[in-house]
Amino acid sequence: MSSDAISPKERLTRVLEKKSVDRQPVICPGGMMNAAIVDVMKTGGNILPDAHHDEVLMSGLSEDVSRCTGFENFGIPFCMTVEAEALGSEIDHGSLACEPKVAAEAFPDAASVEFRDIGKMLQSDRVETVIQACARISGKHPDIPLIGNLSGPISTAASIVDPMNFLKSLRKNKADAHKLMEYVTDFLIAYANLMADNGASVISIGDPTATGEILGPKMFEEYALTYINRLAESINRFGVPVIVHICGNMNSVRHLIPSIRSQAISTDAMVNLRSLKEEYPSLVTMGNLSTYLLEFGNPATVSAQTESLVRNGIDIISPACGLSTSSSLENIRALTDTVKESRASGSTR
Amino acid sequence: MANNSEDLHKKLSDAVVKMEEDEAVALSSEVVSNGFDAYEAIDHGLASGMERAGVLFEEEEYFIPELLMCSDAMYAGLDVLRPHLPSVDSEERFKMVIGVVEGDTHDIGKNLVKIMLESAGFDIFDLGRDISPEVFVEKAVEYGADIICLSTLMTTTMKGMAKVVELLKERGIRDRHKVMVGGGPISKSFSDKIGADGYAPNAAEAVRLAKTLCEKVPVGEKYGA
Repeated sequence: MSSDAISPKERLTRVLEKKSVDRQPVICPGGMMNAAIVDVMKTGGNILPDAHHDEVLMSGLSEDVSRCTGFENFGIPFCMTVEAEALGSEIDHGSLACEPKVAAEAFPDAASVEFRDIGKMLQSDRVETVIQACARISGKHPDIPLIGNLSGPISTAASIVDPMNFLKSLRKNKADAHKLMEYVTDFLIAYANLMADNGASVISIGDPTATGEILGPKMFEEYALTYINRLAESINRFGVPVIVHICGNMNSVRHLIPSIRSQAISTDAMVNLRSLKEEYPSLVTMGNLSTYLLEFGNPATVSAQTESLVRNGIDIISPACGLSTSSSLENIRALTDTVKESRASGSTR
Repeated sequence: MANNSEDLHKKLSDAVVKMEEDEAVALSSEVVSNGFDAYEAIDHGLASGMERAGVLFEEEEYFIPELLMCSDAMYAGLDVLRPHLPSVDSEERFKMVIGVVEGDTHDIGKNLVKIMLESAGFDIFDLGRDISPEVFVEKAVEYGADIICLSTLMTTTMKGMAKVVELLKERGIRDRHKVMVGGGPISKSFSDKIGADGYAPNAAEAVRLAKTLCEKVPVGEKYGA
C-alpha cells in the first residue's frame, strides 16, 4: 500500500543512529513486549506454547504477528524465560493465552549460585530455538528489522535466584551479588552475540525488575546501570544497536536515564515522553501507547493517543509495556495505521 | 545496656529501621532476660520500627531491598519474643488471604504487602504465587477471611482478579469478603471496573486500605463461631 522511500529496517536503523527519516517507525520489540495475542494465533497454525520450543513455529508466529498487526519488525522470543531456563531454573511454559514464567528459581540465594560453563548453556534447547528462528526470519526478510530480545541482567539474576533473597543481597552481600551479576551479564552478552550473528539487527533489553520503584536510585546505579551498560556496550561492539526498556514511573531514577548507553530508551505509559525529551534532548525515545488502552479502549481513542505521540516527536512509536494476549487486533491496527498515515504531517527529526 | 523497657522498645524500633538483624535479636533477648512484656516489645518496638520503615519507603528514602532487610530484623526479633507471648491470645484479629493470581509468579510485591500487613497485626494466610481464582475463593471461605488480597505484575493475568469477584458473586458470598487488588499494571480504574473493594498502589497504602475495609466488614456476617 505504500511507496516508502526507505525500508522499515533502514528507517529504524536511521532513527537509532539519530538520522532523519520520512516518519517514525512503529514497532513492538518482542520478548516481554510481544504482540503474539490470541487473535493473531487464530489466523494461523503457529501457536503458543508450542512456538516457544520450535524454530519453525516461532519464526512463523513472528511473521503472523507482523502481518496481522502492522508492526514494522519481527521480534522473538515471546517470553522472558529463555535465559532463566538456560541458567538452570525450572520453567512453566504457560499456555496459548498465558506466557511462560519461572516455576522455581535454580538457587536460593546469590551465595549458592553454581557458575556453569557459558558455552554449554548456550547449547540449551530454548537458546537453540531462538537462534535458529533468527536465522530463518532474517534470511527471508532482509528489509524488515529483526529484534532479538533479552531479559535484562537484574531480571535474569532475579529469575535464577529467589528474588527476595536476591534483592537483599544487593545490600547485604555485595560481593556475591556482583559476582552473580557478572556471570549473568557474561551469559547475556554471549547469547546476544549469537542472535546478532544469526541476523538480529537490533537487541532490545527489557529489565522489569530493574525499576526505580524496586531498587531506588542507589541500587539502580550500582547494579542496573552498571550491568545494563556493560551489556549494551558489548552488543554495540558487534555493530548492533540496543533498545533498553525501563518499567515503572522512573521518578527516583530519572536523572540516571541519560547515563544508559543504549541507542533508545523505551518507557511505560505513565512516563511523559515529551517532557523526558525536553529534559534530555539527546535521548532517542520510544513508546509508549498504553497497553490498557490497547486492551480496553477502542480504535478511535487508540488512534488519538497515537497521534499525540507522533505529534510530540516521540522517535519510535510502540506499546508501553507487555500486551495482554486478549488485546484486540483492531486496536493494534489503529496504532500502526495511525503512525503509517502520519508522514504527511512531516515528522522528521 | 538499657535498663528500662521503654528504652528497649526505642532501641528495638531503631534496630529494625537500621536493618540491624543481630541487634534486634540481642535486644529481644534482653527483653526476655529482664522479664519485660513480650507483647509490648513487639508492638512498641519491632512493629513500630517496621511502621517507620514503611514511612521511609513511602518517602522514597527506602526501597525494596531496604524494606526487606528491615523485615528480616523484625522477624528475627519476633522469633525470640514469640515464645514468650501469653498463650491466651483471645484477641480477635482480622483475617486475610493473600496471593499472586494465576499465570504470574512474581511475588515481590505480594511479599512486601504481607510483611507490612503482618506487622500491622493482621492474620495473614499466604497462598503463594500462581493461584487460581477458585483456590482464592475456596481458601477465603475455609479460613473465614475478611479480606482477599490479590496481586499481579503481569497484564496478561489481570482477568483472574475479575474472576475472583465473579466467583464470590456466583456463590452468593460477595458481601462476606472484601477484595483488594494491587500490582504493577493495576489501577484504581481497573479495580472499580472489576468491582473490587479497593486498590492500593504500594505496601504502606495496602495497610491503610485494609484497615479501612475492615471497618466495613459487616458484624455477624463472619464465619465460624
